[in-house]
Amino acid sequence: MEVSSLPLSASQRGKLISAGYTSLSSLCATSSCNLARDLKISENEAADILKVASRRSGLDKIENGGQAIMNGAQTAWDMLHEEESSICITTSCSDLDDILGGGIRCKEVTEIGGVPGIGKTQLGIQLAVNVQIPADYGGLGGKAIYIDTEGSFMVERALQIAEACADDMLEYNSLLWKDSQACEVNIQPRAFLNNMFYFRICTYTEQIAVINYLEKFISEHKDVKVVIIDSITFHFRQDFEDMALRTRLLGGMALKLMNLAKRFNLAVVLLNQVTTKYNEGSFQLTLALGDSWSHASTNRIILYWNGNERHAYIDKSPSMRSASAPYAVTIKGIRNSTSNCKRVKLM
Amino acid sequence: MNPEDLLRHPLPAETPKLTLGCPLLDRLLGGGVPCGTITEIVAESGTGKTQLSLQLLLAAQLPTSRGGLSASSLYLHSEFPLPFRRLHQLSIFYRPHLQHNPLDHVFVEPLHSADHLLDLLPRLDFLVPKFNVKLIVIDSIAALFRGEFENTPLELKRRSSMFFKISSKLRFHARKFGLAVVLTNQVVDVMESSDNLRIGNSAALCSSGRRVCPALGLSWANCVNTRLFMWREEERVGSEDENFGNMQTRRFIRVVFAPHLPDTFCEFVIRREGLFGINR
Repeated sequence: MEVSSLPLSASQRGKLISAGYTSLSSLCATSSCNLARDLKISENEAADILKVASRRSGLDKIENGGQAIMNGAQTAWDMLHEEESSICITTSCSDLDDILGGGIRCKEVTEIGGVPGIGKTQLGIQLAVNVQIPADYGGLGGKAIYIDTEGSFMVERALQIAEACADDMLEYNSLLWKDSQACEVNIQPRAFLNNMFYFRICTYTEQIAVINYLEKFISEHKDVKVVIIDSITFHFRQDFEDMALRTRLLGGMALKLMNLAKRFNLAVVLLNQVTTKYNEGSFQLTLALGDSWSHASTNRIILYWNGNERHAYIDKSPSMRSASAPYAVTIKGIRNSTSNCKRVKLM
Repeated sequence: MNPEDLLRHPLPAETPKLTLGCPLLDRLLGGGVPCGTITEIVAESGTGKTQLSLQLLLAAQLPTSRGGLSASSLYLHSEFPLPFRRLHQLSIFYRPHLQHNPLDHVFVEPLHSADHLLDLLPRLDFLVPKFNVKLIVIDSIAALFRGEFENTPLELKRRSSMFFKISSKLRFHARKFGLAVVLTNQVVDVMESSDNLRIGNSAALCSSGRRVCPALGLSWANCVNTRLFMWREEERVGSEDENFGNMQTRRFIRVVFAPHLPDTFCEFVIRREGLFGINR
């Protein structure tokens, strides 16, 4: 254990190393007055350094040599490891998964917006189903919270998508285990529905109340791996005379959701509407809720029509480059766009 | 009220649906008009949206075994008064399936403005349980917003805020009482020069050979759950050399967007007995 990893000022660290205190154990063996003399610093400062060191060595024992310097802090190296090993929620459209780096990430807030009828709700339902794909099939085996503010969640559609997902899993299973005896699996589409916690929200106060309540709910249901809000916008687009209040409420909500995502290692998916923005004499299409809201999410995906094909475009992402990919909404749910498949075959 | 009360778990098996009174049209809509959400019917005048509304007013009274909601219906009109004669004519075909006179269970109220509608909505809390209403038809939503608002950014903002308010209240009541809410909307012509924003399944909607789009624009499109489009096509039938070749009108209905329906369409005809889908 190196002294250089202690949360100390650079000058203190420099003095420690030049005085020969390179390892944590050498620091633990000394007293504050000895340290003050060796480093030519006040005894109080020496005591502080020892306190940091002892807290650190205490933590090390508990965390079994982990890198937790302060409570909750991590090194970038650990985070990279964690990110590389983390599993994404697939969108069931491999082209879309590719540009997203595997799918919708846990610990992040992803915002998805587009015109009515582009497939926002479809994608929402698809993710609520896909999060339940068991670990044996490369999924998370988690549960979903679906917060419906617009009433567009249809049970029969969710069942349809769940059935298609179960079929795909059975097919995968029979490919994997050629022996038909081994593919004894019991995947009930209805079980998918039972693992969705559905909240129907009718006012913005209810929306805020439910988001505040989520923390308690998720700590009781630790297997929840995705929270979908369809849509975050609807109740905030009716007459808010006090726009500053709206910005404050939205900001508070965004912060809560980000914390939930981090703390419980789950994905938060916010569906948003689009609006026209009046800019220098012309109307442009942007995601609703204004500029300050655009900071609320880690990733932003815009869904749009390109001719007769649906496309998804990464507008904002800290790790993926902006790119777009076609997708299709089928009876089975979100899938690869068929015209794209043809193109791939031709090449 | 606690946040945990808003959780519905386990989910209900299926959304209740209101029949359209025709198996083909019901198939198009996956069983009928869903309760608890807002369904919008967009069409140019004379295509049959009021006809379909009238049919729904009666179908809602049918017993659940026949696909109805065994309940009364409320008709709010802003354009024309209720075409009573036509409703009476249609009601004859529903009479045999009902214990009561169907006309006694259709409540009618005129709407004068968007504000009037907003004033009326809180009264639903009282009206709906008292008269066992399960269907609300607003014919038409577009007429409430015609003329009242000017075409300036500020007025348009005020107008769209009104849309969300109305929609939110309607959705609230739809969920609370399990109401089927059906709105009709007009169309506006699309100018060739303007770059038209695509909403829903088809790139361009055409009716009577003209390119049209639903009235009230993008923000209103966010306010409905399901949008259906009805259109007509004029077709010449009979021999070519006759100058007075008969013109026949063909009518179609299509799903523009819906959370639970694929992009499908169906041809329909309007007969004395009502509106029926046909296979061609």
